[in-house]
Amino acid sequence: MLQMQDLTKSYGDVVALDGCTFAVGPGQMLGFLGPNGSGKTTTMRAVFGLIRLDRGAVTLNGNPISPNDRLAFGYMPEQRGLYPKMKAGDQLAYLGALHGMEQAEARRAGLQLLDELGLADRAEDPVEELSFGNQQRVQLAAALVHDPSVLVLDEPFNGLDPIGAETMANVLRQRAQNGATVIFSSHQLDMVEDLCEEVAVINAGRIVMEGNVRDLKAASPHRVIEFESSNGYAAVLDQLDGVITTSFDGHRHTVIVPAELDVRQVLNRADSDSGIQHISYSTPSLSQLFKEAVA
Amino acid sequence: MKTSSTLRLVVMRELRERGRSAAYIASTIITTVLILLAILLPTLLSGSTDYSIGMVGTGNQEIVDLAIDIENTDAEPDQETQFSVTTLESVEAAEEALSSEEIDAALVNGSEILLRSASGASGDDLSGLLQYAASTLEIDRLVATAGSDADVVDILAGEPLGLRTLEGVASEENQARTVIAYGGLMLMYIAVLSYGAWTLTGVTEEKSNRVVEVLLATVKPWQLLAGKVIGIGALGLAQFVFTAVAALVTLRVAGTFDLPAFPTDSLVMLILWFLLGFAMYSLLFGAAGSLVSRMEDAQSASTPLTLVALVGFFMSFLVLDDPDGVLAIVMTYVPLTAPFVVPVRFALESISMVALIGSVVVAIGFIIGTTFLAGRVYAGGLLQFGSKLKWREALQSSDL
Repeated sequence: MLQMQDLTKSYGDVVALDGCTFAVGPGQMLGFLGPNGSGKTTTMRAVFGLIRLDRGAVTLNGNPISPNDRLAFGYMPEQRGLYPKMKAGDQLAYLGALHGMEQAEARRAGLQLLDELGLADRAEDPVEELSFGNQQRVQLAAALVHDPSVLVLDEPFNGLDPIGAETMANVLRQRAQNGATVIFSSHQLDMVEDLCEEVAVINAGRIVMEGNVRDLKAASPHRVIEFESSNGYAAVLDQLDGVITTSFDGHRHTVIVPAELDVRQVLNRADSDSGIQHISYSTPSLSQLFKEAVA
Repeated sequence: MKTSSTLRLVVMRELRERGRSAAYIASTIITTVLILLAILLPTLLSGSTDYSIGMVGTGNQEIVDLAIDIENTDAEPDQETQFSVTTLESVEAAEEALSSEEIDAALVNGSEILLRSASGASGDDLSGLLQYAASTLEIDRLVATAGSDADVVDILAGEPLGLRTLEGVASEENQARTVIAYGGLMLMYIAVLSYGAWTLTGVTEEKSNRVVEVLLATVKPWQLLAGKVIGIGALGLAQFVFTAVAALVTLRVAGTFDLPAFPTDSLVMLILWFLLGFAMYSLLFGAAGSLVSRMEDAQSASTPLTLVALVGFFMSFLVLDDPDGVLAIVMTYVPLTAPFVVPVRFALESISMVALIGSVVVAIGFIIGTTFLAGRVYAGGLLQFGSKLKWREALQSSDL
């Protein structure tokens, strides 16, 4: 269990972390969400001892993390970085060796990863000669080459095309299934909702929402009704009892109501005017929960 | 994982990646070519040098006439070396003329050359020329009196004229020492600045392309800095030795200076101070490199260091003239100037063993202190991106 316990850090007057606390277990994949500047990167750096905390600690199974523990951690920083002139294969072998692998073993593992990521024929090319997407893949490989038991990735989906994102998602899912502890941050909330069972939302250095995505959605006091209609009548919907907000994008009405509201009441009233199609009634999306949590 | 193996990995990467880079190979070639040019150009252009010779006593004219003949044998009429020959009354008058630079050398009674100093400057070429002329005359005389072949060999191997400078008897070794002092000073300056610059840009490069954050997840900042300094130091030393050997071979072949047997202790001293000087400057350059996020800013971050090296270098020329002076003694114990001064003083045999050991101890102490300080600046600077940091800011914000 990787536990962030009361992480607190200020840079002068700027509070980066303000008692941030959450935990991830082996085999879990946690989506770490938060607005820009909320403390995600600082938290991830704390896992690797890259900042000195004012208070609190990151622990692994209840113990402080030692440099030896970190050899089994994999890190993909937000700002990607590899040696531009070094060959992809050499780079992975070097990073693997720095994580305590034998040179030959590290090289073999690196080549195998490049193969899995579809870069087998680029191992002898300097990284700077690869396309941006392929550099991202090498960066992922750099975090994975030593088969880490804890994987921390800062915005791994940034700048990836849909196919690249799919590859990334599959690799992360597979690592978690094999028992690794995976934390990644992202702003692509739909992707996180698909990929993660667990999320933690940080805002202004504090965790404002944490837990199983399905539970969090079920526990929300709101529900969402969506339907299509030929006429826009947001004005009518606004006047209905219990409706919290409504919006209309030209095709589709989205109505947010309290969870306990009887949905038929809304539909009955709306239905009186014209035909309604494609009605859905659901828990809020992660994206909606996120907006509420950081509001 | 053990600290030593992490350090070894960092060093090995530096050796492998930098050692086979086009930049390293090109800089080795360019440095060598430049140094060879510096050695060969004076020889190639020597036709334009004019000499002024003083004669004291008798038996000189023959040697001087022959020397002028030899010098101008193959020269075009308009490129002939001009000689001005004056007769002086006494050895004292000759010494006075030498120190006031009216003459480059004096010939006394056809048996001794008097020079200002064994400095490797133009007087040395002149004395070589006079020696050559005197040997030729002696061989002529031997041939005329049917002397043995063994005598001829003796004359060819030796130097028939005695050599004395205003500072005393100039031995061949003394001349070689002066050459080493000059050459070593130049090489030291070039080495400290250029290899220091490698450390500077190496560190800034890792920071600017952000690979440093991946590395710091498993490598401690001091390991990264020390590994870089050791790796670049080894490559620098290899280039330094290669260049120095190429220079020595050329010196012998081209005969710019009449290089006799080499005092190896001076060379050892040069290499020792190369290592000490490189370590000091490189650690500081590394720390400077960690303050900036972009390559464009690296030069400005290192300007103070470059200036210190420049001042040390120029002040060393004063030491060359006065190796026992107060300035020389003070600079011996100032860590950042010692690498330029101590080898010079050692080469000129003007430093005591106690002072030498003292200066090495001060330098090593400084290196240890700098490792700690530079390590902290480096650790503080590495993960702060954006505008250039001040040394103090980096030092105070060190988190690692």
